[in-house]
Amino acid sequence: MNDSQVKISTTQAVVIIVNYMLGAGILTLPRTTSKAVGTPDVWISIILSGLIITGVGIILVTLCRRFPEKTVFQFTREITGRWIAYILGCANILYFMVIAAFEIRVMADVTGMYLLERTPTWAIVMVFMWIGIYLISGGLPVIVRVFEVILPITLVIFVMEILLSNQLFEIGNLRPVLGEGIMPVVKGLKPSLLSYTGYEVMLVITAYMQNPKKSNKAMTWGLGISTSIYLITVVMVVGSLSLDGIKTRTWPTLDLVRSFEIQGLIFERFESLLLVIWILQIFSTFAITHYCASVGIRDLFKAKKMRTIMYCLLPFIYLAAMIPKNVYETFALGDMLGNVSVVLFAILPLVLLLLSIIRKKGGKHA
Amino acid sequence: MNGKMWSTILSYVPKWTIWAQALMVFVVPVILYLTTNWFHTAIKRGSFSRKNKMNHSPKDISPAEAGIGPGTETGHYANIKLTGIYTTDLITVRETFGKNADVHIREFIIRGTNTRVAVMYTEGLTDTDLIDKYLIEPLMIKGIPELKQESFLHPEQADFLSTYLKTQILPVSEIQETQSLQELATGVLVGKNGLLVDGLPGAMLIGTSRLKTRGVDEPLSEGLLRGPRIGFTEELSDNTGILRRYGSDQSLFIEKFEVGSRIKKDVAIAYIQDIADPKLVTEVMKRVKAIHMDAMLESGYIEQLIEDDTLSPFQQVLNTERPDRVIGALLEGRVAILLDGTPFVLVVPVTFSMLLQSPEDYYERWIPSTFLRILRFMAAMLALLAPALYISFISFHPGLIPTKLVLTIIETRSGVPFPSLIEALIMELSIEILREAGIRLPKPIAPAMGIVGGLIIGQAAVQAGIISQFLVIVVAVTAISSFTIPVYSAGLTLRLLRFAAMFSAAVMGLYGVVMFFLLMCTHLARLSSFGVPYIAPAVPYHLSDWKDFVIRAPLNMMRRRPDMMNTTDEDRKK
Repeated sequence: MNDSQVKISTTQAVVIIVNYMLGAGILTLPRTTSKAVGTPDVWISIILSGLIITGVGIILVTLCRRFPEKTVFQFTREITGRWIAYILGCANILYFMVIAAFEIRVMADVTGMYLLERTPTWAIVMVFMWIGIYLISGGLPVIVRVFEVILPITLVIFVMEILLSNQLFEIGNLRPVLGEGIMPVVKGLKPSLLSYTGYEVMLVITAYMQNPKKSNKAMTWGLGISTSIYLITVVMVVGSLSLDGIKTRTWPTLDLVRSFEIQGLIFERFESLLLVIWILQIFSTFAITHYCASVGIRDLFKAKKMRTIMYCLLPFIYLAAMIPKNVYETFALGDMLGNVSVVLFAILPLVLLLLSIIRKKGGKHA
Repeated sequence: MNGKMWSTILSYVPKWTIWAQALMVFVVPVILYLTTNWFHTAIKRGSFSRKNKMNHSPKDISPAEAGIGPGTETGHYANIKLTGIYTTDLITVRETFGKNADVHIREFIIRGTNTRVAVMYTEGLTDTDLIDKYLIEPLMIKGIPELKQESFLHPEQADFLSTYLKTQILPVSEIQETQSLQELATGVLVGKNGLLVDGLPGAMLIGTSRLKTRGVDEPLSEGLLRGPRIGFTEELSDNTGILRRYGSDQSLFIEKFEVGSRIKKDVAIAYIQDIADPKLVTEVMKRVKAIHMDAMLESGYIEQLIEDDTLSPFQQVLNTERPDRVIGALLEGRVAILLDGTPFVLVVPVTFSMLLQSPEDYYERWIPSTFLRILRFMAAMLALLAPALYISFISFHPGLIPTKLVLTIIETRSGVPFPSLIEALIMELSIEILREAGIRLPKPIAPAMGIVGGLIIGQAAVQAGIISQFLVIVVAVTAISSFTIPVYSAGLTLRLLRFAAMFSAAVMGLYGVVMFFLLMCTHLARLSSFGVPYIAPAVPYHLSDWKDFVIRAPLNMMRRRPDMMNTTDEDRKK
């Protein structure tokens, strides 16, 4: 339980970033971006926003490296003073909790629709949260170990499935490139930026890294892997279902996998496999956000009993997850979270970094 | 406007059922946590009552420790001294352990003197030929030459007497002198010869113990096609001998001490000094020495008393009968624990990957070995999850498997009156019962029972309409898969967990199976064996350790010892 001595390697930091980022977004990403872009240039938006986020992420870890062995909840106080630090810290904690709730809710909705029609939502959610608490009460090393098991399984199965859909793929669906100029691409930046939430975990994780100097590398690798996954997904989904086909579907990625059959293998349809790995990913996102929220409360209020905090957060996350009345409100919540994350984790770190340089706080490790 | 806003907000306030559920989300894990915590402490304390019970019976505390008198010995005949007067001592012996029917006392006189001598031995534990030849013959037939006879007449020259006996008369290697009755009694009762000589202040213990042992036959529990055909035996000295003989490395270090408060047994801890992590060795020592139990019947006792997590279904200590396996483990920096009286040697620490590896993997060429390892991993997954997947696909998601297959399965299941869980449970339980019966039955009957069981389950149950043919295939594949696991105890774990998987599948379908998988992963990630994470080397990513995980890389490539073991000497080629 004593996390202060626990150190994670650079690879493990990459694993955490990727596991956090791949979550609910991957099923809806093609729809949200296509709607905003309106032309088949969605993939350009994805690449561009990947690059932008890498820049933002590097600013973020630069900030963290100025305060070695301290999480965001501890060093904000040094930069801004106590009261602002409390407000910002609470906002971060709330953000992590709501993300956890959001992921659970999306998972419950999708599972209820495709896998367990008659099982009540609360049963699905509760089992999920209980296993989650068993995981995170083991501390960061246990979380990382499970993530390291989950990630390769996900990547292999996901890429394999998406590539199996090549029989539906038509390059015509992706043309013309930049047919209406650059403007649609710019419009698509916002929703694709939102799907990149997850890099903010470094605000907490950098403090536990064995080699914080390599946090740049970890960030770049993590974002690189996630960007390529997003890119493959968007290209294959848009290329196979076409722009018009995507807009009407709630979960386009899942529909893509549902829409082809391959004869002669044991399974003809692969949506079950996709759902399985997707649940694994949601589980990891939920676990790490729940953990970050607990770390936040511990560090902000200087509490001792991490385990108690974790258990006490459970009912609040559950209540938050049950608040949206239907799937559209859930998506609205997701958009809201994205907007908040831009403020909290893109603009704010920059401000904090500048402040800390001006006020000469923190070390000069940057 | 204001009112409308309020009503919107109010409509988002959860209903009381949600509040109740939120409470449940909180309460259940807390209760589970408290229960396991309570259980852990109870196990550590050894009882469920909160009272601190005395760990030792008063008999185990020596008078000096208890403060009631001199003497530091414990036991039945504790703190009684031999007087040195032959007749008194002989009576003492006869009145105490000499009363045992299997303890024999033979009295005679040393030739050439009038010194009386008594030889005590326990029948069955000693070799009477050896006693006759090396003890009685020199004393009774050869005796003392005339020149030296003088000194035997003067009892005050006892020192000379004992030295003379030891140096010139008795041609045996193991002689020990004692003045305490307790030591004499234990010595005689474990197979030494007691020798009482008139005029000597104490008694002599002479080693001629020879127990019947079996040969180093091939172990029954771990079969190999290729590899040495020797196994450990019940004799500790044989086992350490085997380790030295086949793993003769000067730095192989064997430490011995006693465990068990009533029946004392020797435990040996073996490790290679310049490979094993010294911290690991001290930890093993500490745990083994901390054992309090009256007797260690088998190394399983030690295993259960030193393991990290008693509530885990996974074994955290490996047991094996194969010397080659132990030597391989020692070379990787692990520590072996050998107990007298059992052929099963313990190896710590254990990682999950070891349970699916067989020594044969290293003896065959690397390509087939890798194939076999992958096969074993798949078999383990099948043995764990096949019935659960069957249940979840049949009961919850028939749409996810090929349509033709669904039709076939539905057809074969048409006459079955039970839900798939009950159907699978019937079959799995009968298989487990058959297997258990097969172990308990005397060898000549076992195959007959196999045939009867197989026939009944395979044919009759299907015809009677209790189960479907498809399930017979699933169950058979599962059972056969679980036989491929090279470590018997690991197979037991998988068989047990299979039922848990089946229940979670029956409740929540594929989602339940995924949750079960996550729970297992989490549990394995939390578990560690003597400080080494149980799922190493899979994670954390030790790329160099993956050469010996699912893949068995060519021997030439395995230049380094496992990273996870923290060895002092990493290079294998030195």
